[in-house]
Amino acid sequence: MNASGSNWVLDLLSRDSMPAPVDWVQALRRQASDQAATLPQPRRKLETWRYSRVETLLKASFTPVVQAPDISGQVVPAGISPYKLVFVDGWYSESLSHTDGLPPEIRIGSLREHLDQDSVRKQLGQLANAGENLFTALNTALLNDGLFLEIPDGLVLQDPVEVFYLNSAADTPQLAQPRNLILVGKQASLTLVEHYLPGQGRGYFHNGITELQLDAGSRLSHYRVQDEASTAWHLSQLYLEQDSGSYYHGITLSFGAHWARTEYKTGFRATDARCDLRGLYLVGDGQLSDFHLDVHHDRPACQSREQFKGLLHGKGRAVFDGRILVEQIAQGTDAQLTNDNLLLTRDAEVDTKPQLEIYADDVKCSHGTTVGQLDPQQLFYLRTRGIEKKQAVHMLCEGYAGEIIDHLHLPSLREQATDRMRQALERI
Amino acid sequence: MKAQQDEVNDLVKAGYEHGFVSNVASDTLPPGLDEDTIRFISAKKNEPEWMLDYRLKAYHHWLEMEEPDWAHLRYDPIDFQAISYFSAPKKASDGPQSLDEVDPELLATYEKLGIPLEEQKALAGVAVDAVFDSVSVATTFRQQLADVGVIFCSISEAVHEHPELVREHLGSVVPHTDNYFAALNAAVFSDGTFVYIPEGVSCPMELSTYFRINEAKTGQFERTLIVADKGSFVSYLEGCTAPMRDENQLHAAVVELIAMEDAKIKYSTVQNWYPGDENGVGGIYNFVTKRGDCRGDRSHISWTQVETGSAITWKYPSCILRGDDSVGEFYSVAVTRGHQQADTGTKMYHMGKNTHSTIVSKGISAAHGQNAYRGLVRMGIKAENARNHTQCDSLLIGDQCGAHTFPYIEVRNPSAKVEHEATTSKISEDQLFYCRQRGLKEEDAVSMIVNGFCKEVFNELPMEFAVEARKLLNITLEGAVG
Amino acid sequence: MLSINNLHVNVDGKEILKGLNLEIGRGEVHAIMGPNGSGKSTLSYVLAGREGYEVTAGEILFEGRNLLDMSPEERAWAGIFLAMQYPVELPGVNNMNFLRESLNAIRKARGEEELDAVAFMKLVREKAATVELDDKLLKRSVNAGFSGGEKKRNEILQMAMLEPKLAILDETDSGLDIDALRIVAEGVNLLRSPERSIIMITHYQRLLDYIEPDFVHVLADGRIIRSGGKELALALEEKGYAWVLEEDAA
Repeated sequence: MNASGSNWVLDLLSRDSMPAPVDWVQALRRQASDQAATLPQPRRKLETWRYSRVETLLKASFTPVVQAPDISGQVVPAGISPYKLVFVDGWYSESLSHTDGLPPEIRIGSLREHLDQDSVRKQLGQLANAGENLFTALNTALLNDGLFLEIPDGLVLQDPVEVFYLNSAADTPQLAQPRNLILVGKQASLTLVEHYLPGQGRGYFHNGITELQLDAGSRLSHYRVQDEASTAWHLSQLYLEQDSGSYYHGITLSFGAHWARTEYKTGFRATDARCDLRGLYLVGDGQLSDFHLDVHHDRPACQSREQFKGLLHGKGRAVFDGRILVEQIAQGTDAQLTNDNLLLTRDAEVDTKPQLEIYADDVKCSHGTTVGQLDPQQLFYLRTRGIEKKQAVHMLCEGYAGEIIDHLHLPSLREQATDRMRQALERI
Repeated sequence: MKAQQDEVNDLVKAGYEHGFVSNVASDTLPPGLDEDTIRFISAKKNEPEWMLDYRLKAYHHWLEMEEPDWAHLRYDPIDFQAISYFSAPKKASDGPQSLDEVDPELLATYEKLGIPLEEQKALAGVAVDAVFDSVSVATTFRQQLADVGVIFCSISEAVHEHPELVREHLGSVVPHTDNYFAALNAAVFSDGTFVYIPEGVSCPMELSTYFRINEAKTGQFERTLIVADKGSFVSYLEGCTAPMRDENQLHAAVVELIAMEDAKIKYSTVQNWYPGDENGVGGIYNFVTKRGDCRGDRSHISWTQVETGSAITWKYPSCILRGDDSVGEFYSVAVTRGHQQADTGTKMYHMGKNTHSTIVSKGISAAHGQNAYRGLVRMGIKAENARNHTQCDSLLIGDQCGAHTFPYIEVRNPSAKVEHEATTSKISEDQLFYCRQRGLKEEDAVSMIVNGFCKEVFNELPMEFAVEARKLLNITLEGAVG
Repeated sequence: MLSINNLHVNVDGKEILKGLNLEIGRGEVHAIMGPNGSGKSTLSYVLAGREGYEVTAGEILFEGRNLLDMSPEERAWAGIFLAMQYPVELPGVNNMNFLRESLNAIRKARGEEELDAVAFMKLVREKAATVELDDKLLKRSVNAGFSGGEKKRNEILQMAMLEPKLAILDETDSGLDIDALRIVAEGVNLLRSPERSIIMITHYQRLLDYIEPDFVHVLADGRIIRSGGKELALALEEKGYAWVLEEDAA
């Protein structure tokens, strides 16, 4: 164990937790606690935590939610889909969810309820290795519930499935740890929309993990809207593996939380797959947004696009760390990464670090990064056309963010996102 | 594809043109490093007490430090006790007074390398302070420079003759605590160059120093200090070649540049040290700290480097843009072939208002070469309207090599603007075929395309250096077709 | 001067040329026409020696030498020039330098003196004027950022400089407006001589209005299925390729 002392994560891991519902999960949990002890402590000196001030997170203290919480008084937003699943503190709430009308071949709902499924037993923890980092270990060691979604081969679902993550009111800051497993069968297609909302919670820490497997020829549009409480901590780690000809279309919009970090770790199982990762972050006073991408091209002829844009105001801080690794075997890779940052105010700060690590020669790889403020020429132009300054700023910001938002192929979600962004801009 | 493969194989085998060893007896300290070593070096150079104190302070700090491991490099651990920290060519008297007194073999060595030490060559406008192993042996054109008040001498000499300037500036840009290799250099630096350009003077000639490592197991710890006073200008050229050796040799140089108000320093390097053999055995370990301080308003520091040699290159010539309206530039070509590894780039610290920086980095990887660009652009809180533009391009020749880009961008001021672009490509079969259809041999086609790729950087080199750099690149890529 | 006998060529394991025969005499201008995918560009690349084209049967003799044994540059030295449909961009490589390197490599191979800078400049200016190529383009990187017309004119300039014995113009008319086409055609016509043979590969008859061929061949499905004089081109223009294809099938 690292000498730098104890913290609440290590404390939790050293304690005996409630027994898991099945033996194999208990074994998985135990293994994760053991591995956690050997992992380096997240700290500034580690390259992956260089800019994200993880120390304050470790200095705080959070209580794990070890049984399904009280859901009285929880209000679930209307949503845009007939199908919605609701999780409170990471626990599935059947009474708040609506899954009627979904094709019966789809397996969906609480992970806890599906632990007897062969596919769960086979796939859970395959991508998210607890030995990788302390937060993955923590999620695994206290694994209780989360979203399970398995789409059989060939099934194409037109309507999106919508998922809400809410939090309950509590005296002490709580630790919500949904553990999601999403399996998309061959040639299947689905749109999944996830909302991360405060519910009644304040000051909580959301430490979520999602493992995603896309079989050959499948397609997943995966839209995530992080709008946590302004006092909350949010960490999402997404582990993705794609088979040949599959297409992952991922967009994360990050609006909320005091401290929010999203990590994408993607890999390929075969050739000719395509992975698009996009993100928009809007941060102001007292907020940090952090995106980490680890895009691993380890099969030939796959394509990836990474496009992230940030709007920073007040004392907002943003971190972007995007790494594309192309192995020697991955000839024919096409990977293009961009990260743009717009600083709207004096005290905003951004640290960005796009990286290319390339061991194959027949590749098309590039990255581009910009940091700047609104173009005074453009502002001036709008004002000469009679638009007042504030409005002009909003128009330009909307145009800028639109390059991400326009990729959401659900019009109602696009509208929601645009409204949410306007709200935030109003406050500047 | 086959042609590409042949080309790669031949690149691996291309010999090292400057691989010969000259035969000069040396006065060499046995391997090992402790306080006594430092006292010996200091005494040998007859240094004043303050200099010895500085060295000892650095040495004690170094003992507390850890060797950095963050670079994208793999090499066997360096045994710092197995290195000899001082060697000097034997001299007839206390030191040669003119070229006639210099060991003829030494001159012959320089001749082979094409170093313009003789009068007629110097007439080309190059004054030379040649460092053979660790001690300066000849200096020309001192008088002409002295007439305009330019000081151009070895750092050992400067310690005696201009102690006030050295004391004021040495370690003021790269402190002895800066990093592991800089601390080591501060403790044991053997010799190097000191340049002072007085206020308002534009140095009448390009200044250059040729470094050469010639002693087995001898580390080279050069120290260069260039101070350009208000409104002055100097262009400094540094070129390196080394004889063929089996054992790794450590080189840990420190270069400090200081530009006062309205001063401009242009620092150009062609580095062609022994890269090791085709199996990756031998070759120079090059751990260099180079930093320029744009101390005054409107000052300007420009680094240009062509790195084709060394087994390991760890080097980030940087600019501290302290003065308002100051300008920092970094132009780099780094070639890695065989088993060479380079982790190089720059750091631009924007502190003053309206500071501008430009970074152009061209990495070429062939055979098993690994080439990484690592750069930092920091826009400080007071860097109003600062600008940076960075362009990093990598060219891969063959499928066994690697090209990596690790830029760090930190912005603390919203009026600052940073643009960073990076691309990776290979020489396309279309391009090669096109050139060959027009009658060019494949190796000429490769060299032409690679030179085109590097053009933006070569354009920044002084004319005679640009020619040398192109030649060097062609030699490096020689035998592209069997 | 060029003799192609029973040429079979595979690309990526697929047979593209299936027994092509063609005889070209000194000073003759031949047009090769054919529908898309008939193997026209394959023929031009095989003649110039591009990798990736596997000759499975047949032979190509150029002035009695076996062309298939020669590298692309050796063929260029022997006097074969290919004006490409999509001329390649060479970023950072100065157009003028490129021309000079190329010309001197070919002159050297022919046993001629290399041209000095002054003579070269004089020649290049003179030739550039004939294809109305702006001097500025000579100073830029080869084809980088050139318009379609500028690229094609640059190809013809190279041809004028290198004075080949056999010039192959691969879809030289594609992507050109009428003025650019006229300029390019005039450039080619100036280069017609009893010593120089030309193969024009084209989809449309249009180019042949400007450069009059001595012979016209129809290439379809990897073989020459019909040959004739320039009247054949006019008939094709009028009736389309279907007409010959049907007759061939019959």
